[in-house]
This record gives sequence, C-alpha cells and structure tokens, in this order.
Amino acid sequence: MNVGGFGGLHPLVCFVYYAGVMLLGLMLSHPIYQLAAIALLAVLLLLQRQGRQLARTLPYYLLVGGLFAVVNPLLSHRGRHILFYFRDQPITLEAVLYGVMTMMAILTILLMFVSYRVVMTTDKFMFLFSAILPQTALHVWMTLRFIPLFARRFQQIELIQRARGIDMRAGGPVRRLRNGALLLRILLTWSLEDAMRTGDSMKARGYGTARRTAYYPYRMDRRDRLMLALLGALLLLALAGWWKGWGLLTLYPRMEPIRLAPWEWVHFAISALFVGMPILIEARERYRWRSSQPNV
Amino acid sequence: MEIVAAERLTFHYPDAALPALDEISLSVGKGEFVVLCGASGSGKTTLLRHFKRELAPVGAVSGSIRYDGMPLADLPEGRAAEEIGFVFQHPESQIVMDTVWHELAFAMENRGYPVVVMRQRLAELASFFGLEPLMQRSVHELSGGQTQLVNLASVLMLQPRLLLLDEPTSQLDPVAAREFVHLLRRLNEEFGVTVVASEHRLDDILPLADRLIVMENGRIAHDGPPGAVCRRIWAAGDAQKRLYIPSVTRLLAQLEEAGADAESSGLSHAPLPLTVREAVAALDRLADGRAASDAPEDPADDEARWPEAAGEGAGRPSSAHRPAVRAAPPPAEALTVRELTFRFERQLPDVLRGLDLRVYHGELLAILGGNGAGKSTLLQLVAGLRKPQRGKVAVAAGRRLGYLAQNPMLYFSSDTVQDEFSRAAAHAGFRGDAAETEIAYWSEAFELGDLADRHPHDLSGGQQQKLALALVLLARPDILCIDEPTKGLDPVAKEAFAARLASLRERGMTIVMVTHDAEFAARHADRCALLYDGCIAAAAEPRLFFGGNYFYTTAVNRAVRHRYPDAVTTEEVLRRWASEANGS
Repeated sequence: MNVGGFGGLHPLVCFVYYAGVMLLGLMLSHPIYQLAAIALLAVLLLLQRQGRQLARTLPYYLLVGGLFAVVNPLLSHRGRHILFYFRDQPITLEAVLYGVMTMMAILTILLMFVSYRVVMTTDKFMFLFSAILPQTALHVWMTLRFIPLFARRFQQIELIQRARGIDMRAGGPVRRLRNGALLLRILLTWSLEDAMRTGDSMKARGYGTARRTAYYPYRMDRRDRLMLALLGALLLLALAGWWKGWGLLTLYPRMEPIRLAPWEWVHFAISALFVGMPILIEARERYRWRSSQPNV
Repeated sequence: MEIVAAERLTFHYPDAALPALDEISLSVGKGEFVVLCGASGSGKTTLLRHFKRELAPVGAVSGSIRYDGMPLADLPEGRAAEEIGFVFQHPESQIVMDTVWHELAFAMENRGYPVVVMRQRLAELASFFGLEPLMQRSVHELSGGQTQLVNLASVLMLQPRLLLLDEPTSQLDPVAAREFVHLLRRLNEEFGVTVVASEHRLDDILPLADRLIVMENGRIAHDGPPGAVCRRIWAAGDAQKRLYIPSVTRLLAQLEEAGADAESSGLSHAPLPLTVREAVAALDRLADGRAASDAPEDPADDEARWPEAAGEGAGRPSSAHRPAVRAAPPPAEALTVRELTFRFERQLPDVLRGLDLRVYHGELLAILGGNGAGKSTLLQLVAGLRKPQRGKVAVAAGRRLGYLAQNPMLYFSSDTVQDEFSRAAAHAGFRGDAAETEIAYWSEAFELGDLADRHPHDLSGGQQQKLALALVLLARPDILCIDEPTKGLDPVAKEAFAARLASLRERGMTIVMVTHDAEFAARHADRCALLYDGCIAAAAEPRLFFGGNYFYTTAVNRAVRHRYPDAVTTEEVLRRWASEANGS
C-alpha cells in the first residue's frame, strides 16, 4: 500500500473529493470548465504514475466519448448556426458543441475513475461502508473474497480433471458444456464443505455474540480535517455558483457567448482549485522530498 | 486447580451404533500443556469440540463438562467466546477476511471492541508473532505455516485462557510445524495459557508437553507424563500403537529391549527419552553398559531377532526391496527430464531453471525441498499436466504416467464411490465386463468395497486418498507421480500407505514422490533429490543424501550421527548396533 500524497489522506477526504469531481463533472457543462477539469485530472494521473495506464486506455475512452460527439449532430439539428449540410441534413454548431460537451463530461468521469481506482482501494471504500452498516459490510467483504478464491480453485480443478478426461476445452459444444458443468459441481461441493469449516471458525471466534464494530487502520488527523473543510467549502461554493447559473453554457434556444463573465471567472477558479487540489498535495510532497535530499 | 474437566462424558453421533466418546473422565489443570493422540476416529476431535460450546457436535450427550468451577453450559456467551479459543486443522478454511490485519481484527470486531482496544492488541500481537511485514498482505499469498500463524494470532486477540487445537500442524511442512509448536509452548510458559492440542506427529510437540493422553475408541487408553506414557505404550507391545511414539524414542526403546533381553531384567520403568539431546545421552549410557557387561551374542540368534524388532506394522524393512546390486549394470531410465524451464506468467520469475532429472525403472524417487521451491509444479510438469517453456520430459516408450494430487478433493466429480470408479474405468478405455472386473479388483485391493454407495466427500482422509489412488491406478500407469501423500495421515495410515507402495513396486511400478517427510523418504525411497533454486541440487540414495546433512535429516540420524554418521533409519541403526555387539 502506497500511502504517499493524496492517497495518504483519510478515506473520507478522498471519497468527498471524487464524489465532488463526479458531481461537478456532470453538472458544470461548459467547455472551458470541462477542458480545465480534463487537463487537471490528466496532470494528477501523471503525478500518480498512471501515465502508461492512461496511454493504454485513452483511445478507448476517446472512442466512447467521440461516439457522442459524432452521433449527436447527426441526430439533432436544432440550432441557428448551420455549419454545413451532410446528406441534406443541416449540421449545427449547437449540436456539435453539445456532443463535444457530452464527450468531455464522459471523459472527466472516466479519468476520475482511473485515479479513484488507484487511491480508493476496496479496503478504504469498505471502511466508509462499514461505518454505516457493519454487518452488511462483513457480508460484502466475504463475498468479494470468494470471487478470486473460486477462480483459483477452479484453475486447480481444471488442471487435475483434464488428466481424468473432463476437459472444457476439447470436444463438441455439448461435451464442453457438460464437462464445464461437472467442473463447476466439483467447485461447489468443495466450496460448500470449506464454507462449513469457515462457519465453524467464525462461531469459534465469537461471531454473533455482540454488536459488531469495525476496525480500520485509518485515523482522521488535523491535516485530514483541514483538507475536508477546505474541499467541503470549495465544493459548496462551486455548487452555489451552479445554482446561480455559472459554469453552464446555454445552447438552446439561443447560444450564449462562450467567454466567461467576470464573476464567472472567480467561480471557475474555485471549481478548478477543487479539482486540482490533489495536484497541489502531490506537488508539495514532491517538493519536500527533493528539498530534503542533500544536493549531489 | 482445574480449568476444564469432563466427567463420565459419553456421546453418540446420530445413528451411530458405538459411542464416539465413552465415559470420558478427564481434568485439565490451569497452565497445563496437554497433547491428545490416537488414530483417526478415536474421538480426539469430538472431545475437543465438546470443550468449546459453540462447536459441540449434535448428538446424544450424557455426563458433564465443567469450566473454571462451573458447568460449561452456564458460562456466559461472551466469556465462552473469549476465554476458550479454538484453532482448526485446515489453515485456509478458517480464514474469513482477505487481508492479514483484517483477519486478525475479525474476532475482536465480533465482540464489539472499541477501535482503541483493537489497535493496541493488534500492535502487541503483531510484534509478538513477528507478523508486521505481513499485515497488509492478502491472505492467499501466505504459506500454510503463515496462515496457521494468523489463525492462532486471531484467536489470541481475545486473550483466551484455554486454547484448544485440532491437529493444527498436520497440513504444515515440518519446519513450519516445529515453529508453530514452539510458539504454543511460549504462549503456555509466558502467558500461562492452558493448551490442549490433538496431534498425529508427536516428534516435535511431545518434548514440550506436560502430559500425553492417548485415546482409543472413544476412551482414554493412557494418560500421564509423555516419557512415562511412551514407556507404557512400548511395554504394552501393540505394534500399531508403538508407531505413535516419536522416532528417537522408539529407537532407544528398541535398543534397550535388545540389551535387556540378555539380562532378562528390566530397567524399563524410567521414562523414555523424547528429544535428540536426551537420546544421545541415553545411547551413550546403553553403549557403556554393553561394554561393561561384554556378553558376546550368538549371531544366529541375532538374525532371528532383528527383523522382528524392525517390523513395524507394515512388515519387512524397506531396505529389503532396494536393489542390492545397484553399481553393476546401469539401470534403464523410465523418465528423463532435460533442461526443464517453467514460469507461471511472463512477468514472474522462473520457478524451474534448466532442471535435469533421471528416473530409473522400478525405483522410488523422493523429491524434497523447501516451501515454494516448485516441487508440486515439477511433478505436474513431469506428469504432463503443464507445458514447460523450455526443455523436455521424455517418457520411455510404452510407459504410461499416472498423477495423484495433494488434495484428493480435486478428484471427486460424482456422488458415489461407485460412479467415480465407473467414470475412471470409462476414461481408461474399459467397457462392459472388463470395466466391472477392473473396478471389482481395485475396490477389493483398496478395501473400498463397503463404501461403494458413500459420497466421496464423506470418507475419511485416509479413505479419500485410497480412492483417489485407486482411480489413478485403474488406468494402469507404469510411472506414478504422487504429491505429498503422507500429509495429514496418522502413523498407522502412513504405514499402510507405505505397504501399498511397496506392493505396487513389486509389480514393477516406478514412483516419483514429492514429500516434506524426511523420515518417510529415508525409510522407503531408493533415491532422494533436493530441489533448490529451480534445479536439482543433490540426488543420492537416502543414506548418502541425509547422512551428509546436518539440519535436513531424520531425527534418528541426528541422534546417532556421532556413532554411525550415515545411518538414517531405525532399522539401519539396529543392524549396526547388533553387528557391533557381535564384533566385540
């Protein structure tokens, strides 16, 4: 577990951040805001050493997002600024912009999730979850553990049973299906028997004898509380601005100019600061590291 | 001061004709370290489970159990959960959560401890057990020994006064088993935790125990200090019971018996030695006594006696079917492994690196090696279950391979033993009457006839192994690859398995066996090979292989190495001892 930088903060702080980015990403639909958010998230991912991951997945993300950008103007012909005609259908600037903005909103969310996966491990999410529902959280935990466990067991069974002529990868479809079902049955019988032992082990360790508490190795310290307050305040301000209509590009019925109004710039700065907060934390930590090293 | 006691405890499982526990009266004192032993099905587990109320089996009970001066049934739920800890046999099955720290906290979470308390206890125990480096690890990455350690630590988080363990080391390799047992002793000595552990392999645990209880058919057969109980078991003369005695203890008892024959009197009331240290001293005393009495013996007399003394349930000593004239003609190779290289995934390091190995016709080759050295992987490659990245496994023309995995559960795909046989026969290519004959033959040979309608999972561990082996043999293989066959078997079942291997070899079967069990390899293998760093580091016949080792050798060899450096089995020592006596 790498606990440096933004990921070293309390899970609640991280969770509020990602929830906030998702909220703002969906609500603030203005190309300038969106471009800024995408750029900031990309920088954050690079700082989190996800550059390679990003390079690998970006084409798919662009494909998904690009689909909206291309399809929307083909289907929607509302708007006053006609750019050109495509097979006698007018392609309007409004529809193109709308498509592009949808694409950017999707990209923002996808990039956010790349970073989320790095920072919010299952551990941290379950910590937040079990603070609310300790019993349910335990069941979710146990279920989550079963998935890789079953996969590993299935591999073992497959290896051994192939030597006994029960092979999912040979023969006709019916035979494969029958063999696959047989392998699954072995897995189930084995796992049920194992689950009985696990049940005994739970009973032996006092399961169900008291109201469960949840232990987690996370503690909310001063820095976490400060950061939580700061992020909370920025998020509230950004949402309040949205309530006032800032950060939205009206396209229909009449497209407003794309430039931001003077007060809107302030709102933009607040939103950008919120999205860029982890960058500041990561950058600060890097600077600290570098300045603490003796000059060679 | 007793902590837990049973009085005339009798227990019947539903529909069972005989009681699983028969009028057991037993009192365990505070701070005692008690070892329970006995054959599978003698009632060890049933008794232990009765001491842990939540795990008591369902059935007809009579008699009473007291805990700390009150009936166990009256103990409040919270105290029952915290004060009586239970550790089970299978390390992986006990795990509930996915990371080590979470598993450790599980018991405390169940009891609703506040986070502050949990953090303190976790910190304390993690450092006592040396688990800090593992805390963030996923549980499935741990070795069996580490997993069992986590299970024990998780139970100790509740600070129990009584710790019950049901064959806790039977699934571990010998090194991990020894570490685990020593940890139990530390808990017992330093924290006063009362320990009651059932165990098959007594070599490591017995020197540490205060008391040994031997169970037989639901009754207590022997009860007392370990050395004295071993003496009594030896004196009773039952060959099967004698197998439970640690190997060095058995050696000394046999030597003593041999010496005592001449004088016809018995010094045989003193407790038997249990550790290598005690055995070395006892051996010296015996040698001195022999030199003093200096009674020359008749060699013919010896000839008659030694095979008798060495015979341990299974019959003749294994050296009898070792090829005596090994040096003369170079034996034909049944299987040749050339430059085998294997890794599981492209990014992972090599498990095997250009490994060379020869297996000769009719031999029993034991492959030994540390945890995670790749022994099982090698066997799977040899058996053709996996494909190597480089290198070749060449099987002599016309020879067929059979493979028996460590976990027999992986084999069973049908609802009854009979169906299991039919499926295996069909796959082996037997039809109609031929199939019937084959099935009848193997179920007869492996005493599985009565179990034909049982579900394979309802069989005992030993029976499951027999069935799995029978299924493999049905296909008439010439070379048998077996992975850890003696793991979790009681000594009697182990001896029966050795006899089975011997009878297979008489019919010309070549056997490659992966094992952790140095004692078993020393007694039954023709050659031993050590797998280390992806290669075979050494391969030789057992006396050369183990005789040169200091740590990695049998307990018997450690006890006699200053006298007979290359004697690794009891039989060998007895023979040398006798010939020395004749020579003097």
